[in-house]
Amino acid sequence: MYRSQHLALKYFAAAMTLFGIMIVAGLLASTNYVLDGFLLNKLDFSVTKMLHIDTMIIWLLMGFIGSVYWFVPIELEREIVGVRLAEVMFWIFCAAVAVVAAVFMFVQYGPASEMSLWFINQGRKYVEAPRWAVIGITLVVLVFIYNVVGTAIKARKITGIMGVLMVDLIPLFGLYLIAFPSMTNMSEDQYWWWWLVHLWVEATWEILIGCIMALALMQLLGTSRRVVETWLYIEVGLVLGTGILGLGHHYFWIGTPSYWLGIGGFFSALEPLPLLGMVVHAVYDAGAHRMKTTNQPAFFWVMAEAFGNFIGGGVFGFMMTLPQINLFTHGTQWTVSHGHFAFWGAYACGVLAVIYLALQKARAAEQVDGAAWKWSFALLNIGILGMVGALLVSGIAQAFYERAMGGSTLQAFMDGQNNVWFVQGIVMRLVFGFVFAAGYVVLIYDLLTIGRKRTAAKVLQPRVAGGPA
Amino acid sequence: MTAGQVLGTSLLLALFVLLAGCYGVLYCLARLRTSRRIWRSAATAYALQGVTTALLAFSPLDFWWKALLLASFVGYLPIPPLTWRLLENLHEPKEQHS
Repeated sequence: MYRSQHLALKYFAAAMTLFGIMIVAGLLASTNYVLDGFLLNKLDFSVTKMLHIDTMIIWLLMGFIGSVYWFVPIELEREIVGVRLAEVMFWIFCAAVAVVAAVFMFVQYGPASEMSLWFINQGRKYVEAPRWAVIGITLVVLVFIYNVVGTAIKARKITGIMGVLMVDLIPLFGLYLIAFPSMTNMSEDQYWWWWLVHLWVEATWEILIGCIMALALMQLLGTSRRVVETWLYIEVGLVLGTGILGLGHHYFWIGTPSYWLGIGGFFSALEPLPLLGMVVHAVYDAGAHRMKTTNQPAFFWVMAEAFGNFIGGGVFGFMMTLPQINLFTHGTQWTVSHGHFAFWGAYACGVLAVIYLALQKARAAEQVDGAAWKWSFALLNIGILGMVGALLVSGIAQAFYERAMGGSTLQAFMDGQNNVWFVQGIVMRLVFGFVFAAGYVVLIYDLLTIGRKRTAAKVLQPRVAGGPA
Repeated sequence: MTAGQVLGTSLLLALFVLLAGCYGVLYCLARLRTSRRIWRSAATAYALQGVTTALLAFSPLDFWWKALLLASFVGYLPIPPLTWRLLENLHEPKEQHS
């Protein structure tokens, strides 16, 4: 194994740890909806919710960085150029995340001053991390870009996937710079902030996970480079064609000109079309391989990615994206339902697939299978389906009673919160949250143990000369 | 829009994309298993998507959104066969070598 692949395993371990923190924070935050005053003035809802969504961003980002560090040496047949620097940055990244989480939990907030922005919280959803930490993350991403581009240059080899990946890293880095400025005009602030959140999630991350899945499919199914690269180019064209101006669906109600209603609605409505193509590709591959590979968990997580992306992003998104409907659904639990499902389907499943692939190789296991991964796969997916279903019921109740019938008054808001459909949905979300957490526990057990027996058998075999240590 | 119209329209929009997905998956399964019965199921799913489009025509959505839905409905039809053909063409040279 290459040294950068050992680093990738560390990134995966950190990602899985943050995944666990995300789940705990989510459970705490959702308990607040059920038990009034739960942990009041100790660990408020605002803090647990912030931890929940920020760790979600960071664990996925760590999963992506780990995946790239895993595949790039294989793709370019050489070690990463700045592997030592990357290792240092990994520990800085982990330390920064730990310090920021501790500040969120124990300091929580500060006065309305520059000091608070620099050292406590920037107050912008998804990117609340204080400025010093944002600078740290920027450095990590810069080193990451240097390593990817520098390695390709050093190897004198730029494949189609590497080309797409390198181009994608420019907006991935550039858009993150929007996390810095503090604007006092709320509409202006939201306008640019959505560039970061939407264009990261529905453009640069989509391309990044597309590159990662292309590399994963070559390793998992032995799919030819020609197939995955052609498909990647098509995906890039379609995702960027619909995803960039799909940004408009966030601009409906924040004070932007009304033409965004048309632009946002139109391009958002087109977003499910490429996702259907991905589903067709997934079924084609599943049929071609008769649902059998040497790494069943990775294969099933890849399948879950295609279907989860289509249903979570496509079906749940389309249900509420046209402006006339969005007027009633925006900012309700309906949106939360879509967000959970889309992130799970589009990114989390893909990262889990790559982790299984990496562990198979790291533990030199010829075949990766067993019962535990099936349990974790089932519990995690039942958990997420139950959560998004429950949130959908609550969101519909809000849109129906609070917005459409009640006219969005304060009294209507209170009535909506007490509505029996809303309350039952919120309770069921918590129940299924525990199911999801159980799936996570089994997942961690499986990741720690899967393929280990095979490793022991392999160690006894004589080493074949050549190749990386 | 009334509360009932919001709920009805949004659920129809979800059904619209879900049926497109069912059509795509069933089309692939029909090709994989060369089954006429599954192919008919795929056609039924697409026809149901057409019914959903027709029902959405009676929703309070503006005219241009309805036109977009109709165009999308037509657009979903060739996606599975075109994607399938593309995938077969891409895989073909590899299979010829082996």
